[in-house]
Amino acid sequence: MNYRRLLTDYVALALVIAGLVLIFGVSTQNFLQFGTFRNIANQIPDAMVVAVGMTFVLIIGGIDLSVGSVLGLGSAVLGVCLVRFELPLPVAIAACLTTGLACGILNGLLVVRWRLPSFIVTLGMLEVASGATYILTQSRTVYVGEPIERVSEVAAFGLSLPFMLAIAVVVAGQVALSGTVFGRHALALGANPESARLSGIRTRALTVSVFALSGLLASLAGMMQCSRLGAADPNAGIGFELQAIAAVVIGGTSLMGGRGSVVNSFFGVIIIAVLAVGLATLGAQESTKRLVTGGVIVAAVILDYYRHRLNKA
Amino acid sequence: MKGTAAAALVFCVILSGCGGQQNGSAAPAKPRIALIMKSLANEFFLTMEQGAKNHQAAHSGEYDLICNGIKDELDVNRQIQLVENMVSQGVQAIVIAPADSKALVAACQKAQDAGVVVVNIDNKLDDAVLAERGIKIPFVGPDNRKGAKTVADFLAAKLQPGDPVAIVEGVPTAFNGIQRKLGFEDAMNAAGMKIVTSQSGSWEMAKANQVVAAMITEHPELKAVLCANDSMALGAVAALKSADKVGQVLVIGYDGISAVRERIKDGSILATIEQHADQLAVFGIEYALDMIKTKAAPADRETPVDLITLAEVGG
Repeated sequence: MNYRRLLTDYVALALVIAGLVLIFGVSTQNFLQFGTFRNIANQIPDAMVVAVGMTFVLIIGGIDLSVGSVLGLGSAVLGVCLVRFELPLPVAIAACLTTGLACGILNGLLVVRWRLPSFIVTLGMLEVASGATYILTQSRTVYVGEPIERVSEVAAFGLSLPFMLAIAVVVAGQVALSGTVFGRHALALGANPESARLSGIRTRALTVSVFALSGLLASLAGMMQCSRLGAADPNAGIGFELQAIAAVVIGGTSLMGGRGSVVNSFFGVIIIAVLAVGLATLGAQESTKRLVTGGVIVAAVILDYYRHRLNKA
Repeated sequence: MKGTAAAALVFCVILSGCGGQQNGSAAPAKPRIALIMKSLANEFFLTMEQGAKNHQAAHSGEYDLICNGIKDELDVNRQIQLVENMVSQGVQAIVIAPADSKALVAACQKAQDAGVVVVNIDNKLDDAVLAERGIKIPFVGPDNRKGAKTVADFLAAKLQPGDPVAIVEGVPTAFNGIQRKLGFEDAMNAAGMKIVTSQSGSWEMAKANQVVAAMITEHPELKAVLCANDSMALGAVAALKSADKVGQVLVIGYDGISAVRERIKDGSILATIEQHADQLAVFGIEYALDMIKTKAAPADRETPVDLITLAEVGG
């Protein structure tokens, strides 16, 4: 990667983040302080890991609309295992992650077996997973408390375990994307499925594993959210998929596939989180929050367009 | 219990399905009442529905019940369709918890015109729109403003005049959310508290968590957070936990869900309001049965709201 690529790839988004921090820093009393950044860091792990999975799904030219409700289902499985079945924490976490993995594998298998558009398969999974969540929780908030909250309390440098785990997932994701056969094949599949298949890439297995990864990471996010809130909310994750897609697209990953960056998706997540926290610090009304967030999403994507023209030049 | 919920779901689907097929046959001897709920994904409405089903099971000789809910609380269109479907199935009465206090008025008017008794529960239909259309639909339910004032008054007694407080609102368009916000403001203003910020938490735990975390950073001197429902109160407590401020900042909620009772026991939530969810739909159904029998003129009926504190949950 040459120097100029690095500059245009990462600096543009970092500048947007710095700009936002500056604006909120100037316009509020207490935004620019450690507490705010700890808040943001401890609130975004779930969005970060979902965005990593979503980046890979978009890269292969798919979409995963089920991540939000799989997050909710994962959190519900975890809560119910701990509270109703009184299972030990590691077993409950394993059950939660297995559920997510299974949802993802099922998505992938349905897509490749009948050559269905992932949009509609994962839309189906969105409904199914939230239905399952309601049955499992009886539509009731499952109060977990101490056992799961401990997971979020373990901290170093003021950062929670989930945040450090999420950073590890982002790093591993970027390495897998730019440094492994898996990543190169994923990019090739998204750029041109037919030529990828003809060049000997096992496209079906690849597709299933990418959706499996997305499902697994969504349930991991469910675990993180459950541990942060100390309870499993049956309505957790509603609209989360759109937020994740927005973050990934802000990061420059193409909705058409074949192009993307995990680190930039992470920046996208930060942009959305800084906006949300900053606007709440300002005490903005819901209407203002939506107008500004929408505007920033579109502006960031336009910025991405120029970044690519600069790269090609 | 999991099986019960699944069976209830199937039961509901079958009931509504069969209702359609019976349409052409002779009019049933006992009245059929349609209960149209908001999101059955919400514990509050599920409790309400369960209460109605239990009541019907105990009075199965008197009426039949058809239950329907919508996907989420914003799915207004689907709820209008449900009202229309129930009218065409020839039910005698519709008991409805409107997802929107204005958008549902027209559909309810059509139902009334078709000779169906309509009773409004939970979320009151907008008075101005009802007046404009020249119709009367009786409201059977709690006074949210009064309930919110009750719990906020209890909070005010624990604070000093001039203390800064924050409000976490519901979805900005929801009538009950607006009423609760007004009730909170009534109590806080009367006691001389300073409301430093008031923002929507969209009724959701995770959203409220984010909003409250930002509130306590910007206003470190905050003494209390008043939440318009219990899910958001749980989100607020999680935010206080990560900032090490549990106990320093008092939290109140609204609804009385079971998870909040746990938090009241451990002291992280001060109080909430019990609206007797299991009885709300039953009140509406009883009122509808009355109206079918007596053809009485519609009038509103207020249902009780009770304060829940440590004394009530028995910590």
